Amino acid sequence: MIQSKPAMEGKDIYLPEPAKLLKVEPLTRQEAFFEFTLLSGRDLGHLPGQFVELSVPGIGEAPISVSSSPTVRGYFEMVIRRAGNVTTALHRMEPGSILGVRGPFGTHFPVDTVMKGKDVLFICGGIGLVPVRSAIQYVLHHRADYGRVMIVIGTKTPADRLFAEEMEKWRKHKQVTLLETVDRRDETWTGAEGVITRLLPLVQVDPPKTIAVICGPPIMYKFVVVELIKMKVPDESIFLSFERHMKCGVGKCGHCQINGIYVCQDGPVFNFTDVREVEEAI
Amino acid sequence: MDKPRVAIFDFACCEGCQLQIVNLEEELLDVLTLIQPVEWREALSDQSDTYDIAIVEGSITRPEDEEKLREIRAPAAILIALGACATMGGINKLKNNFAMDEVRAEVYGKDGSMPHLNTLPTRALDEVVKVDLKIHGCPINNREFAYILRCLALGKTPAIPNYPVCVECKMRGTVCRYEYNEICLGPVTRAGCNAPCPSAGFWCFGCRGYVDDPNVQAAREVMEHYGKTMDDLKSRLLLFGSGQEPTS
Amino acid sequence: MTIKKIGPTTLERWVDSLIGQQRVFGAQAQGDKFAFAPLTQAARLRLDYDVAVTAPKAFLQPPCETLLRFGARGYESVLDTEPFVLFGVHPYDAVGILQMDTVFAEGQPDIHYLTRRAQATLVVCDVQNASPNVFAGCMNTAVLEEGGDVLLTRINDDYLVEGRSAKGEALMKALASEPEAEAGDLQFRKMVWDHNRQLLRRHELKVKPEDLPAMLDKSYDHPVWEEKSKRCFSCGSCNLVCPTCYCFNVREDVRWDLQNGERVRTWDGCMLTEFALVAGGHNFRRKKAERYRHRYYRKGKYLYDQHRQIACVGCGRCIGACVAKIANPVEVYNRLAEGPR
Repeated sequence: MIQSKPAMEGKDIYLPEPAKLLKVEPLTRQEAFFEFTLLSGRDLGHLPGQFVELSVPGIGEAPISVSSSPTVRGYFEMVIRRAGNVTTALHRMEPGSILGVRGPFGTHFPVDTVMKGKDVLFICGGIGLVPVRSAIQYVLHHRADYGRVMIVIGTKTPADRLFAEEMEKWRKHKQVTLLETVDRRDETWTGAEGVITRLLPLVQVDPPKTIAVICGPPIMYKFVVVELIKMKVPDESIFLSFERHMKCGVGKCGHCQINGIYVCQDGPVFNFTDVREVEEAI
Repeated sequence: MDKPRVAIFDFACCEGCQLQIVNLEEELLDVLTLIQPVEWREALSDQSDTYDIAIVEGSITRPEDEEKLREIRAPAAILIALGACATMGGINKLKNNFAMDEVRAEVYGKDGSMPHLNTLPTRALDEVVKVDLKIHGCPINNREFAYILRCLALGKTPAIPNYPVCVECKMRGTVCRYEYNEICLGPVTRAGCNAPCPSAGFWCFGCRGYVDDPNVQAAREVMEHYGKTMDDLKSRLLLFGSGQEPTS
Repeated sequence: MTIKKIGPTTLERWVDSLIGQQRVFGAQAQGDKFAFAPLTQAARLRLDYDVAVTAPKAFLQPPCETLLRFGARGYESVLDTEPFVLFGVHPYDAVGILQMDTVFAEGQPDIHYLTRRAQATLVVCDVQNASPNVFAGCMNTAVLEEGGDVLLTRINDDYLVEGRSAKGEALMKALASEPEAEAGDLQFRKMVWDHNRQLLRRHELKVKPEDLPAMLDKSYDHPVWEEKSKRCFSCGSCNLVCPTCYCFNVREDVRWDLQNGERVRTWDGCMLTEFALVAGGHNFRRKKAERYRHRYYRKGKYLYDQHRQIACVGCGRCIGACVAKIANPVEVYNRLAEGPR
């Protein structure tokens, strides 16, 4: 006898709750912007840097980080790159479609604790900006709670830039320093060209007062961390967000394990001191 | 949305993979809810030149095959190679171990040199045209065929295993053929068949081709442990592995 | 808790009566090996088996199980709520199950596993014949000191039957009128246990299991990982036969209407090439040696760090299942014990 109703106390950690797609807008060739709301009406209740598991019935489930700040109420935003089956299906969905959400899962950028009162340096490569945007929005929403706000963004080409309009707002913001580079320029681009690490020496940081937040492609971490250490930013002031293969999001399936660490539970946001000795992590 | 028009073609093969589709029996009606067959020799008398998906079985062994395959490819949005002959040349590639003159003389005797019996070394479809999807096996697993069809209807890339047959043996609780000192190609062969051969007490013939990164070197090295020689291994690899490159 | 002593006829009668009441999966002959399978009559039960081809964990975390169903009403949980008995589980396999209990219950509990587990009655049976590769004696898992619902121990032609939980006692209700074990029987059982601790050592581990985590801690760059893994087929056999491997994959398939379908979880293994591959194409453990090492670290260190239990129970299945003969944990650990070379 197979039953559909839980026979035991407790909720099914694998059961998604229904959510509605409110808005889809293409951003680049690969990425699109999405707005969702939970059908129950409750807020997602995430903190910047956390992720959810998104389900498309018939297609499957994929971990996606939340891109809007929890200060935005009533809905949440994501930027999703077309990479696998689930994300491809999401790109084809129409507003009004119902899908499944589990989460939020994992650790968050410490916007509510150690970042408070400090200068914050956000370093984002490519779609690494997606989860960090949530933290940037949060910090700007509570601007008085933080010291200087510095944002360093690297993108492959000008055509791959995400949140271009929002970046313009940040650039014009009197209390924000924004530095941007592209790996390969084109005729539309008048800004800096080259890898993101070349921008870091241009940021004047006060090391003991600075908290650095990093998110980007796997290759980026090593180089950025070396640069930060050169700049004398203390190890315990560096936070990194990792990507790994994830299935369950709740520390069971084993896929995201890096040595003794489960990225889905112990991460995705890690303090550098917790992973610097961990082989395979960076 | 209109159902995609599907045409099924065959080249050098036993047509057993088409038969596997027919063997879906009552589920064929379900298949028809997703596709509209417009050409299918084993199940349909119609023929058509306009279709969205071409499903092609068999391997390419004659100059005129090559030409026909290019014609089939041209109008197709998606071309699917069906079964081992199409995906990797299959058993037909045994021929490539011999000179073509030798082959013709062996099969046709004194008539072997007649022009219409011209034959080329066997090629898989992707050695001639672009192949979008491979459905592996000799014959194909029709459960997998059905799954792939549903994936295509959903616009989803089907999950074709890239791990060895051993995984499926273990899931079924099948005792490894090597425990009986028998060479089995399971450890280098792509799963997805649900390991019917080892489960019936036979070694894996390798009909689904290699996994992406087969450790053939390791297979050579372990022969000694089982009291076997390289020649023993080679003789097993001959059937489906003649000139086979790792498949994808 | 009660300890009864019953003869072979009583045992058979008891098992047959259980078969009439609920599903019973018992150790049986399968060709020249043994396997747990639905038991149709007590006479087929082979409590003298050496090792079951597949670890009985398969009845708690099946190779393929439906987690969810979806359709017009969205996603719904699917839970298996039918009671069953696992009859004749060896102590080392029981230890494996107890470890899985921890993993699935901790943090955010997994109600799919736990629901099925709650339906299971675990009848453990002390080993009567050692399999060719067992080394449970070295891993302190030859005897199950506590846990399980019932423990059977063969004493000459009879069996001692110990109720170890309320569920076990309930199963033993039919044995209420049978005689209690006497002091001499319990003495004999102790001897069986001591004997098994020595018998189940077909491979001799030169270090104590509790020393493995510290030893692994200094062995990350040991040459053994590269050497052994050269021959690895990445076939996952060592994972899939392991009583403590529980990693899983999740997939989804639809019916022909494309609207209704199921989300299923299947066994997975960290030795498989694509285990740590992400959708963008980056593989976080691309090399065989990395995957090979990961497996030993997970068994001997990572899970120990979390639960203070070594996740190797010494069943020896991986040794037999590995075609390339590189999966003998005792060989690897003994090699590490010799120090870096």
